[in-house]
Amino acid sequence: MHINLPAANLPSPRRHPGNRMLHPQPAVSLMTIRNLCVLLLLLLAGTPLAAEIARSADEETGLRKWHLAEGKLEVELVQRLPDQTRGFFMARGFSPAIADEIAVSCIFQTIIRNTGTQADAVAVSVDLAQWRVIRADGEQGVRLKEPWMASWPENSVGEASRLAFQWALFPTQQEFLADDYNWGMTAFGLPPGAVFDLDLVWQEDGTMHTTRIAALECAPDVERLQ
Amino acid sequence: MSAVTLRQLLCGLLLLVAGYSAQAGESLTPLPGGKPAPDFELVDTDGKLHRLSDYRGKTVILNFWATWCPPCREEIPSMNRAWRQLAKEDVVMLAVNMGEDEDTIFVFTADYPAEFPLLLDRDGSVIAQWPVKGLPTTYIIAPDGSIAYRAIGGRNWDDSDIMDILRALQKQRQGAG
Repeated sequence: MHINLPAANLPSPRRHPGNRMLHPQPAVSLMTIRNLCVLLLLLLAGTPLAAEIARSADEETGLRKWHLAEGKLEVELVQRLPDQTRGFFMARGFSPAIADEIAVSCIFQTIIRNTGTQADAVAVSVDLAQWRVIRADGEQGVRLKEPWMASWPENSVGEASRLAFQWALFPTQQEFLADDYNWGMTAFGLPPGAVFDLDLVWQEDGTMHTTRIAALECAPDVERLQ
Repeated sequence: MSAVTLRQLLCGLLLLVAGYSAQAGESLTPLPGGKPAPDFELVDTDGKLHRLSDYRGKTVILNFWATWCPPCREEIPSMNRAWRQLAKEDVVMLAVNMGEDEDTIFVFTADYPAEFPLLLDRDGSVIAQWPVKGLPTTYIIAPDGSIAYRAIGGRNWDDSDIMDILRALQKQRQGAG
């Protein structure tokens, strides 16, 4: 969870520059302590926070990830290099052509979690068919696994491979109760390196919410991000 | 208020939050209604046949997983620790692998030892009978054969709250018997 404290209340080494030697100041000011206490008490009370979107990058791989926390919903979208995805599906019996088609479809590892508690009894549900991928030249939906699997010619993908695909991709619809979470691949159907905004739609306690994550980037088709 | 007292207060609150977060981490979703668990027969990696209905009278932890699924891998050590404690208490743990073969699972268990039975659902016909959307998903089946709890995503299975739930289910049966 990310907490953004007002900058004005953070301890600053530039405060009271003249009398620091004569009257040493505590490292943490009284105002800051009060603010932190209020925030901690709000956390204990389970008060919902407003939408927070954070972007970061893995130090080792360079893969970028986006993290959204809003109400009881937590979503993490992590880039997958096309080579990772190619390797995953070829190891599970896919032909190079189909593995490549999947790999260059802007795959993100997607993690969705309900951060509520059993006492809240609040359900969070997602339907990927409602998510919108927005670019300057238009918008489209997420590439869903059901029509994708139906598009493969008969006998082109074996049973074990189909099962791997079915369970590796994120479910199109899923409900999460307290502590529930799921991992899976989500395909945004754009070429490697494409940049897009995502309107992420979900329901919390029966109420529909939409949050836009701006400037998501499909991983480029390279072995490793710099 | 002195700086030392303020720091102590802050540390106390942080510890409280840390404790609260840890406590809130592990739970199972109760499934009211007592829906009967779909029966199945599957062989495990040792070739032994398991029929779910043969475990009537015992609490069954039924886990659906795959070797390539990161949260599945993450929860296996805690499943093994829980199994070591619960096996003596007549609680059964069955982990149904999705679509992989014995060799793949054998290699996997070198890194993630699992002493409980690993069942092979090679064609996905068993998982299709259960309302599973993603891996891992775990159901707790009460001794009367009804589905009592569900967990979507991994859990720390030897967490005391979860162990208490499992033991309470088994005790209900022993009390009734």
